[in-house]
Amino acid sequence: MTGGDVVLQTTNATNATGAGVSRPPSAPLADSIAGMLGLDGVVGAVVGGLIGAFLIANVMLTTTAIAGPWAKRKITASFTDRIAVNRVGPFGLLIIVADSVRLLSKELIVPDGVDRPAWDLAPIVITFSALIGFAVIPFGSGLQLADPETGVVFVFAAASIASVGVVMAGYASNNKYSLLGGLRAIASNIAYEIPLIVTAASVVIFAGTLQMSEIVAVQRQPLVTVAGVTIPQWFAIVNPFAFALFTLANLAEIGRNPFDLPEAPTEIVAGFQTEYSSVYFVLLYLGEFIHIFLGGAIAATLFLGGPAGPVLPGFVWFYVKMWAFFLFTQWARSAVPRLRIDQFLDAGWKGMLVLSFANLALTAILVGVIV
Amino acid sequence: MSLEEPGPDADAAAVARAADEMEALVGEHVRSRDDHLNAPGYVVRPDAVQDVLGTLREEANLDHLSCVTAQEYEDRYESIYHLKSYDDPTHEASVVVPTPKDDPRSESAAPVFRTADWHEREAYDLVGVEYEDHPDLRRILLPETWQGHPLSLDYDQERPQIVPLREHANPLEDDQEGDEGETMYLNIGPHHPATHGVLHLKTTLDGEQVIDVDPDIGYLHRCEEQLCQKSTYRYQIMPYPDRWDYISAGLLNEWAYARAIEDMADIEVPEYAQVIRTMGAELCRIAAHMLAVGTFALDVYGDFTAIFMYAVRDREKVQNILEDLTGQRLMFNYFRLGGVVWDLPDPREEFFESIRDFLDHLPGSLEEYHDLISANEILQVRTVDTGVLPPEVAKSYGATGPVARGSGVDYDLRRDDPYGYYDELDWDVVTEDGMDNYSRLLVRLREVEESAKIIEQCVDLLEDWPTDDRTIQSNVPRTIRPDDDTEVYRAVEAAKGELGIYMRSDGTEQPARFKIRSPCFSNLQTLPEMSNGEYIPDLVASLGSLDIVLGEVDR
Repeated sequence: MTGGDVVLQTTNATNATGAGVSRPPSAPLADSIAGMLGLDGVVGAVVGGLIGAFLIANVMLTTTAIAGPWAKRKITASFTDRIAVNRVGPFGLLIIVADSVRLLSKELIVPDGVDRPAWDLAPIVITFSALIGFAVIPFGSGLQLADPETGVVFVFAAASIASVGVVMAGYASNNKYSLLGGLRAIASNIAYEIPLIVTAASVVIFAGTLQMSEIVAVQRQPLVTVAGVTIPQWFAIVNPFAFALFTLANLAEIGRNPFDLPEAPTEIVAGFQTEYSSVYFVLLYLGEFIHIFLGGAIAATLFLGGPAGPVLPGFVWFYVKMWAFFLFTQWARSAVPRLRIDQFLDAGWKGMLVLSFANLALTAILVGVIV
Repeated sequence: MSLEEPGPDADAAAVARAADEMEALVGEHVRSRDDHLNAPGYVVRPDAVQDVLGTLREEANLDHLSCVTAQEYEDRYESIYHLKSYDDPTHEASVVVPTPKDDPRSESAAPVFRTADWHEREAYDLVGVEYEDHPDLRRILLPETWQGHPLSLDYDQERPQIVPLREHANPLEDDQEGDEGETMYLNIGPHHPATHGVLHLKTTLDGEQVIDVDPDIGYLHRCEEQLCQKSTYRYQIMPYPDRWDYISAGLLNEWAYARAIEDMADIEVPEYAQVIRTMGAELCRIAAHMLAVGTFALDVYGDFTAIFMYAVRDREKVQNILEDLTGQRLMFNYFRLGGVVWDLPDPREEFFESIRDFLDHLPGSLEEYHDLISANEILQVRTVDTGVLPPEVAKSYGATGPVARGSGVDYDLRRDDPYGYYDELDWDVVTEDGMDNYSRLLVRLREVEESAKIIEQCVDLLEDWPTDDRTIQSNVPRTIRPDDDTEVYRAVEAAKGELGIYMRSDGTEQPARFKIRSPCFSNLQTLPEMSNGEYIPDLVASLGSLDIVLGEVDR
C-alpha cells in the first residue's frame, strides 16, 4: 500500500492532520489500559490488548443482545402497528434474559450426515469475523483497540470472512435449502463486496489514508460555514452519491432486506441456517446482528464523521450512528420487497459495479485536479 | 330440466331444444339420456369419452370441464363429466359414463381437458374407476400403499389402515432425475413457510430454476365428502362447508351447499334472506381476499411486513361484523335450507353503522395497499410477467375465480349464473389481461372494491326493508327426502372460484353421493404450467397468487 499511499499523502498533506507517513501502528485503548495498570512493554501491550478486546467485544455483544430479542421486535412492531414484547420487565426489556435462557436451553439437534468440523465451526466463524472487525473501529473518546495503517483494508477483510462461514454452514448442513442459501451467499457477496470496497476506496482517495483514525480526523475539518454554523467535511456530505452506493452495498453485504437472499425465509426456509438450533442458532443470530452493527460502524467511520457530533461525548455519537444504521436496516426489512436472485445479481454486476467504478474514477479525477 | 327451469314453457322448450341439438352432435355415442336437474345427461360408452367430450367442446362450446364425479351403484360404476361453457355457465351438459362392476375401465378425458388429470386420479383413488390412456393414474389424496377405495360400496370402513413410514412409499425419498445428475430434486413442503398449509411440491431444479414441479396433496384430507354422505340434508351437512375453505370464506361455501340442496328439494328462499346472504357472502369475500393479498405480499416481500398486518387488521374488522351477524368468527354455520338462521342483530342501526364505518374506511385502506404493494416498483419487477397463465391454458385446467379473471377469462358465476340477489345489484366483474402474478393480485384488490359496492347496496336495501316482510327462512320440512335418484350439480362463486356440489339422492335423508368441486383443487393444477422454467421465488409467488387453501384442496 505504501507507494500509492505516499503519493496520495503528499497531494493531500494540507488536509491531513499532519500525520507522518512513518507513524507507528498505535493501539489507543490498549495503551491507556496498560497505562492505567502501570504496565508497559510487551506485557502491557498483551494485557491491555486483551482487556480492551474483552471490553469492546462485550459492549458489542450486549448491544446485539438488546437489538436481537428486543429492539428488532419493537421496531418491526411499530412499523406494523403492533405493540410487541411488553410483558416481562419494563418495556419488555427482560425478554432479553428470558429469550436467552429459552434459546440456550433448547436441544442442540445435530442432523444426520452433517460435515462435523465445518458445521460446528461455521457459527463461530460468522460471529467472530464480525467481532474481529471491531478491533480497528474508532469508537471515539480514545476507544479504539488498534489503529493500524491499513485499518480500512483490515475491517473489510475481517467482515468478508463471514462469507466463508456462510458457505461452510450451507455446504456442511447436508440440506438442500442450506446449500442453496450458501450458494446465494457466495453469489451475492462477490457481486456486492466489489462495489462496497470500491466505493470505500473513493473515501480513501479523499482522505489519503487507510488508517481509520485519520479518516475520522479528515472528516473533522470544516467543509463550509453557513451563517455561523460549520458543516464538517463528512464524506456523506462531500459525496452523497458514494454514501448512497455504500449504504446499498452494505445492506447486501450484511444480508438484510431487500437483499436477504441467503436466508429468504419464504423461499428457501432459512437458507444456510436451516439446520442450526440452540447455541449454534444463537451464535449465527449474534453473528448476523454484529455484522449489522459492524456495517453501521464502517459507514459511520467512513462517511458520517465517526464519533463526531455536538455536546455528547464521541462514543455516544458513534453508538447512536450505529443504531441509526440498525434502524435503517429494520425499516428496509419492513418496507421493501425482496428481489429475486437473478435481478439482485443483475443489479449488482450491471448497476452497482459500474456506478461504483464511475464514482471511483470521478473522485480520483476530482481529487487529482482540484487538490 | 323442468325442475330447474320453473319459468315459462318457452324457456323450458328452448333448453330442451338445445339439449337435443347437443345430443345430435354426439348422437352416435349416446346410449340413453340420464338428465340431471341442472343439465341434460348423455350416457355414453366408456371408450367414447374423448370423442364425445372433444366434440362437445369444439361444436357445442362446452369448454369448461367443471368437475368429474365418480360413484358406485349396486350394478355399475359411473363417471360423470360436468361440462359448462366459460361464456355462459348456464349452458351445461353432463356426460355419464357407466362402466361394468367387474371391469371398471373407462377412457380418460385428460387428453381433451387437462383438468381431468387430477379429477380422474381422485376418482380412481376414492372410488376405484380406472381410466385408460390417463397420463399418470396413481392415488392423489391417500397414501400410495392404501388398500381399497374408500367410497366404493364394498370397502371395509371398519378395517384400520395404519401405514407405517417404512411401508409407506416415502414421498420424500426421490433424489435425482436423469442420469447426468445435473438437476437437483427439492422437496418444498409439506412444512415450508410459503406453502400456505401442508402442501408438498416435488420440485426438480436446475440451479435455482424450476424444471418441473409436481404438487403432492392429500395431507389434509379429512373425508369431507364421506362425512356429508353420512349426514342428513336438513341439519347436519351445513356446518361442514365452513371447514373446506376455512379462510373466513365460510358463508360462500355454505351457499354452495344451500344452492345445491335448494334446487334439489325445490326450496324457495325469501328475498330478505337472499339479501342477507348476499351481504354476508361478500363480507366473507373481502375477508378472504384480504388474507390472500396479505400472504401474497408476505411471500414476495419475504419478511413479516406492514402489509400483512394491515391486511389482517382490515380483515379483523370484517370478522367483527360477521361475528355480530352470525355469532361466530370462522365456522359460521349461518345459512339454513331456505334462508338464514337468524335475523340481523339488534339494534339494527348499530349493526348497519358498523358496516358503513368499515365501508367508509375501505377506500383509504385500499389506497394504502396500492401504495404499498401494487405501486411498488420492486414488487412489480418481481411479479409482472412471472407465473404467466394464458387464458386457453387456464380454461383447459378448469381454472376459475381470480386466477381465471387474472388471465382475462371473463367468468363469474355471480353474474353469469345468477343466484342470491346479485342480478338485482349494480356491480362489475373484474378482469385483468396480464395473465401474471401481478394481474391476479390486482384482480383481488379490485374485487374488494366491487364487494364493497355490493355490501353497500345490500345495507341500503336492508335498512329500508318493511318490518312485516322480514322472513328469514321459508317453511322447510324437518326431514328432507328428495326423490330417489335425483342428481344435481350446482356451483357458486366462492372466494377462490367456482365451488360446486354434486349430489345424488337415494330416497333417504342422506345423500348417496356428495361430491365437492373445489376451486383450489383445479387452480392448483395450473402451478406447473406457471412455474416451469422460472426461479424458486417465482414459484413461491405463483403459489401465493393462486391463493389455495389446503383444507379445500384436500377436503
